[in-house]
Amino acid sequence: MSKTGTVPGLAPYPLGPGFDEMYAGPGEVRRHYEHAHRIFSAMGPEALKRKQRAMQRRMLEEGITFTLYGSDGAARERPLERTIPFDMIPRIIPGEEWRDLERGILQRMEALNRFVHDVYHEQRIVKDGLVPRRMILSNRYFRPEMAGFRVPGNTYIAASGIDLIRHSDGRYYVLEDNLRTPSGFSYLFKGRTLMNQLFPKLCFESAIRDVDASLNRFLSALRSLAPSRNPDPLIVLLTPGSYNSAYYEHAFLAQQMGIRLVEGRDLVADNHKIYLRTMRGMQQVDIIYRRLDDEYLDPLTFRPDSMLGVPGLMNAYRAGNVALANAPGTGVADDKAMYTYVPDMIRYYLGEEPLLRNVPTYVLSRPEEREFVLERLHEMVVKETSLSGGYGMLIGSESTPEERELFRGNILREPERYIAQPIMALSTAPVLAGSGAAPRHIDLRAFALAGANGQTHVIPGGLTRVAMHEGSLVVNSSQGGGVKDTWVVDEPGLPSIEKE
Amino acid sequence: MLNRNAEALFWIGRYFERAENHARLIDVHYHIQQTETHDAASSRWSRLVDAIGSRDEYTARHDDFSEEDVLSFLTLDLEHPNSIYACIYQARSNLRMLRQQLPSEMWDAASGFQLWLDEQTPANILEDPHDFYQRLKEQTATFLGIEQSTLWREKEWHLIESGRFLERAENTVRILKSTAVYCRGSDSSRWYPMLQAVLNSLSAYQAFRRRFADDMSPARLLEFLIADPTFPRSALFAFRELEEHLHGLAEDSAQRGQGHRIVLRQTGKIKSHLEYLDYEELDLNRVDPLLDRLIEWCDELGGAMRERYFRSEEIRV
Repeated sequence: MSKTGTVPGLAPYPLGPGFDEMYAGPGEVRRHYEHAHRIFSAMGPEALKRKQRAMQRRMLEEGITFTLYGSDGAARERPLERTIPFDMIPRIIPGEEWRDLERGILQRMEALNRFVHDVYHEQRIVKDGLVPRRMILSNRYFRPEMAGFRVPGNTYIAASGIDLIRHSDGRYYVLEDNLRTPSGFSYLFKGRTLMNQLFPKLCFESAIRDVDASLNRFLSALRSLAPSRNPDPLIVLLTPGSYNSAYYEHAFLAQQMGIRLVEGRDLVADNHKIYLRTMRGMQQVDIIYRRLDDEYLDPLTFRPDSMLGVPGLMNAYRAGNVALANAPGTGVADDKAMYTYVPDMIRYYLGEEPLLRNVPTYVLSRPEEREFVLERLHEMVVKETSLSGGYGMLIGSESTPEERELFRGNILREPERYIAQPIMALSTAPVLAGSGAAPRHIDLRAFALAGANGQTHVIPGGLTRVAMHEGSLVVNSSQGGGVKDTWVVDEPGLPSIEKE
Repeated sequence: MLNRNAEALFWIGRYFERAENHARLIDVHYHIQQTETHDAASSRWSRLVDAIGSRDEYTARHDDFSEEDVLSFLTLDLEHPNSIYACIYQARSNLRMLRQQLPSEMWDAASGFQLWLDEQTPANILEDPHDFYQRLKEQTATFLGIEQSTLWREKEWHLIESGRFLERAENTVRILKSTAVYCRGSDSSRWYPMLQAVLNSLSAYQAFRRRFADDMSPARLLEFLIADPTFPRSALFAFRELEEHLHGLAEDSAQRGQGHRIVLRQTGKIKSHLEYLDYEELDLNRVDPLLDRLIEWCDELGGAMRERYFRSEEIRV
């Protein structure tokens, strides 16, 4: 353990009641952080500021931005293009801790994929009385069009993002599953590249698990879903377009995987097949990695006013001529109320005990749970079941009496739209703020990539999201959250766990 | 044109290409991220010296392979004829000799480049290596861009470009040689970061993906960087360009001597060999004869250019 108190670059900060990723106690650095701590401490505030400026400049040069559209009523001519706040102190996860997380995520994803399959086929889990039928039928993301359809490779959820937090007991908890069109991949990969460039020595000297090969795994997973036997399948990434807030990510992934970035207007359905309009004529598309919500995919099936999708896409899909990643209708499993059933799904489908914990969750359509929650709204987080991105959320401890009254009314009016959870203490990690380090709350979005027949890969580390404001618990980028590079570091000398 | 001027032009192309290749190689080797144990750190730096083929010169000057020593040896050491500084210094000397015969912007660019290098110290590199080599590459690109947009397409142009593409072919093959050695000597789980680093160092990552998608293997990498017809840093592409510029030179020069024909024939033979490669030759365990032969051919071509083409006493170095 190293003690530092004299170096302004990374002076110890007072610890809160929660778990701190770097400090085990006052000034006591955890073993897996020692090397990084030493390097950052030795740099001094001036050098750190220079690095931070260089980082910022590169992100701007490379256009690593997301777009914020105003909802503040002010007539904003141009939407804001922002670089995401990127903190340079990496979040470090020891190899053995990661091994447990990885197993838990693989287990969870297998059960969730089976659940989605079950929902659109026999619905055994409903018949056996584990999940109430109305929870499925009333679910906003339930797609009756998917009933009875066998999806390519039997994989519904090709790309998923599992949000995890570390509570004050030092354990990880799953906060939510993102099973529709999770984002954040580009920040993960780009963050690592930037760190390698800015801190080559530190990166060299730490045995960090490689993430670059995960992009190849991503591409292999997508290719494995091709419904035809075409040895060189045509893959496209379907984006809503350059005005989408995640457009940078779409362009990044298309570029890195060498797949085509297309909009709905570039595709056309003909004779139950999907074609790409190219200068060389129509080319048949085998796999669509879509970053478009279900309801925009096909105006003939879903929202008729959607200009973003491809008329006839669902027919081509159901004819088995094109793969969609992820499959339509996976949202039925990532609803915040369905989340409470995931541990049961794992026991039901796999006959195993869940390796990852869920945060205790109150389903407000149940009268006794609702009553319990309404009595202590000030100590609860209330979320709308079908919204994500930190929207439609009440954090009890930070709310005003008026806000609580508003939510109370909403809950009483439409209880099935809400769930509540006790306020979990997110762990803290050091960020560079002002002239030194300060603790900020973080979570972890882990990404799993599944190819045909359940071949699943978890990207080592994932994306650490940071609530950049002191004390804040909201880490979403749309709400001013930032990110950190996340390292899975094996003890020097120990063999790495994952073998290809 | 005087023979020695012709050779000076040829070497301007070679030196700039060499400087750029070394900057690419260093930048990416620098950032290869491998889960190797700490004590293997020095082998990363010796591998870099080997890739550039200067081990003897290095060990004559330094006892061990440290980051700072290796980077300054490869970048700023004027005594080391393969360093980036030495390459630019030589190219600028050649340009000074010829400056009245070339667009003045070319001289300005080379001269500005060297003035910048004069001021650099190892500390500047270590401060932010990525940024440093990025700026180096930008300056070689500036020179190339100015040459492309200002130089008349006559023998001066063909000479510089001949030098550039012969050098490029040789560098690409040398990088492949060290990649093949590395891959054979390491577990296949270690290949990916190395292959990706090589592709990045040659700005080939995206082009490779377009052609081979997720099939990232040593054999595919070899196939791509040796024989891809459209990627501008593949060996085949370089030999095609070289042949074209040698033809251009033949059309433009008064005496089409015997020497010229020999060089052209040799280039055409190598190009044809690469166009009709047998895929077995690209197997990781069987590729060495091909790579060695290519390096030999490049050497011979360089020699033939000197002996048969420039036909006069050596003027370089």
